[in-house]
Amino acid sequence: MKKNLIVFVFLIFVVSIQAQQNIQLQFHHKVGDKNLQLFTETYSNAFNESFIVNRFKYYISYITIMDDKGKQFIVKHKYFLIDEADSNSKKISINTSLKNIAAIEFTIGVDSLHNVSGVQTGTLDPMHGMFWTWKSGYVFAKLEGQSDSSHAQGKYFGYHIGGFRTNENALRKIRLSIINYQLSIVNIKVDILKWFNAVYPIKINQTAFCHQPGALALQLADNYSNMFSIQP
Amino acid sequence: MRKISIISFLVTIIFICVSWINHSNTTPIKFIVPKGWPQPKYDFKNNPLTKEGFELGRKLFYDGILSKDGNFACATCHQQFAAFATFDHNLSHGFNNSLTSRNAPALQNLAWQKEFMWDGGIAHLDLQPLAPITAQNEMGETIENIIQKLKADSEYRKIFKQVFGEDNINTQKVMKALSQFMLLLVSNNSKYDKVMRGEANFILPEQLGYEIFKKKCVNCHTEPFFTDFSYRNVGLTLDEVAKDYGRMKITNNKSDSLKFRVPSLRNVAYTAPYGHDGRFFSLMNVFEHYRKNMIVSNTTDSLLQHKMPLSNYEIGQLTAFLYTLTDSSFLTDKRFAPPGYNITPNFIHIH
Ligand code: HEC
Ligand code: HEC
Repeated sequence: MKKNLIVFVFLIFVVSIQAQQNIQLQFHHKVGDKNLQLFTETYSNAFNESFIVNRFKYYISYITIMDDKGKQFIVKHKYFLIDEADSNSKKISINTSLKNIAAIEFTIGVDSLHNVSGVQTGTLDPMHGMFWTWKSGYVFAKLEGQSDSSHAQGKYFGYHIGGFRTNENALRKIRLSIINYQLSIVNIKVDILKWFNAVYPIKINQTAFCHQPGALALQLADNYSNMFSIQP
Repeated sequence: MRKISIISFLVTIIFICVSWINHSNTTPIKFIVPKGWPQPKYDFKNNPLTKEGFELGRKLFYDGILSKDGNFACATCHQQFAAFATFDHNLSHGFNNSLTSRNAPALQNLAWQKEFMWDGGIAHLDLQPLAPITAQNEMGETIENIIQKLKADSEYRKIFKQVFGEDNINTQKVMKALSQFMLLLVSNNSKYDKVMRGEANFILPEQLGYEIFKKKCVNCHTEPFFTDFSYRNVGLTLDEVAKDYGRMKITNNKSDSLKFRVPSLRNVAYTAPYGHDGRFFSLMNVFEHYRKNMIVSNTTDSLLQHKMPLSNYEIGQLTAFLYTLTDSSFLTDKRFAPPGYNITPNFIHIH
C-alpha cells in the first residue's frame, strides 16, 4: 500500500515536471535595423538628427503568457530591469505549464504600490539609479545619449520616463501576438527609433531632456510602447 | 512505546533548536500612540521596531559615513536642541560649501505623516533619506557608495546582522533603520499636552492665546499635530533666485503654485528661522507677514483673502501660547542624543 503511494507521488512529480515548459524571452535592442552599440555607433532618427546612445534601460513587470485558448500564466511580483549594458538582463527565462503560446503581455514600469511602499530590494533597489529621490518614484525607462542636434551642454540628451500619480501614469501595457506556437525562444525586437517618432514627434533639437513625470513623459511613454515587436 | 518517546524527544530537541535559531537577539519596542491621537500612517508591520534597530538608526543618523566627504550626517542639519531642525539657519550647509534650497524642518511625529518635504514630493518615510544622501547640496553621495562603505565596516556588518538576522546590507535595511530612529521622535509632552491631559494649567496669557489660536490658526495648524498636512499658499512672494513654486513642482498643476505644507508648530520656539526658505527670522516676522506683508494672489488660501488682522495684543497672547508647545523632555531626551552621549553636545553644531 505504502509502496504504491510512493510510486504514485513519484509519477505525479515526473508528469508535472514534463508538463513544465521553459520559455525564454530575448530582448534585441535595435536602432531601426541596426544593432544597438552603446557609445560608439552613430544613428539617425526620423528627423535626420544623428545621435549616439550611452544608456538604455527599462523595467518590465507582470509578464503574462497566454496560450491559444486564452489560458494565462502570470509571473507575479517580479520586476525585471533590462539594461543594454548587462547582456544577462536581456534574457528572461520562464517556466510554465502552458503550451501553444499565442501571446505575451507585460507592463513597462513599476506599479504605484511599489512606488509608495518604502524601499524595495533586488532589481527595484533605488541603488540602480532608476529612482527619483526628490519626487519619489521609479524611472520606468531611460534613454540617454549625445547628439549634435542637442542644445544642451556636452550635446547631451536624456529621457527619463516614469510617473504613477493621477494624470501622470506612465505605465504602459504591451501585448505581442505570436504566430508560431511552438517557439521556446521568443525574440523581441526593441526599436529605439520609436522613442522619437511613433505617436508624437519628439525632436532632440526641441526636446533634449525629460526628467520628470508629466505631459512630456506621457508622450514618450506612448511612443516607446510601440518599440516592441516579435522577430520571426 | 520506547520508539515513540525517542522520536518525540528528538522532535522536541529540533523544535528548541529551530526556535533558538529563529529567535534573533532583538528586543521589540512597542510604538505608543498618545491618548486621543489618531492611528499612525506608517506601516509598522513592514518594519517592526526593535531596540537594536532604533540604535542602528541612531548611529546612522549621527554618522558622516552617509555623506561623500564624511562631514555631513543627518544630524548636521537636524539637531536635537532645535527639535531636529537646523538651529539658527535659514538654509543649512551641505557638501562642498553649498546651501540647501529650503529650510530644514523639525523632525517630530513623523509616524503620522504620509508625505514628506515642504512640497510633499516624497511618498514614504523610508524613501526620504535617499533625497539628502544623493543631493549635491546636501550629502553629495551615491546610494551604491554608502552601501559599499557600510559593507566594508565590520562594526556595521555586525550590527546589521544582529538587527535584521541576515548578512547582507542593502538600501532597504539602511532606510528601515533610519526610519526606526525617526519614528520614535515623538513630541507629546509640552505644557500644552499636559494641560490637555489635565496635568497642568495655562496661565492667563497662554489661555487667551489658545482661544485666539483656535479662532485664527487652527484651520491649518490643526491639533494635535499643529498641521493638517495640507499644502497652502499663505502669500509668500516668489524668491527670484530659488524660483520655488512648492507643491506645483510635484503636481505640475498651476493651482498648486506657491503652496507649501503647513508646518507643525510644535517646538516652534526652537525652530527659527521660519517659513519654507527660512525667510522669517522671528515669530514677530511671521506675524507681520500674516497681518501686513503677505501678497494675495490667485492661489492664496481662501482663509487669507484679506490677510489676517492681528492686533499687537493678540500677537502677545499668541506668542505666549506658542511657547507652551515647547517639549523640553523631547529636546533633551537622551535616547535621541548621539550614540554615547546623554545630551546632544554643542559641537554637533559645527557650521
Ligand atoms: C544639508 C542639510 C541636510 C542633511 C544632511 C539632511 N537633511 Fe533632512 N532635510 C533638510 C532640508 C533642507 C529639508 C527640507 C527639504 C525640502 O522640503 O525640500 C529636509 C527634510 C527632511 C525630512 C522631511 C521632514 C518633513 O516634515 O517632511 C526628513 C524626514 C529628513 N529631512 C530626514 C533626514 C535624514 C534621515 C537625513 C540623513 C540621511 C537628512 N535628513 C539629512 C536638510 C538636510
Ligand atoms: C491658511 C492656512 C494657515 C493659517 C490660517 C495659518 N497658517 Fe501659519 N502657516 C501656514 C503655512 C502653509 C505655512 C508655511 C508657509 C511657507 O513657508 O510657505 C505657515 C507657517 C507658519 C509659521 C512658521 C513655522 C515654521 O516652522 O516655519 C508660523 C510660526 C505660523 N505659520 C503661525 C501661524 C499662526 C500663529 C496662525 C494664526 C494666527 C497661522 N499660522 C495661521 C498656513 C496657515
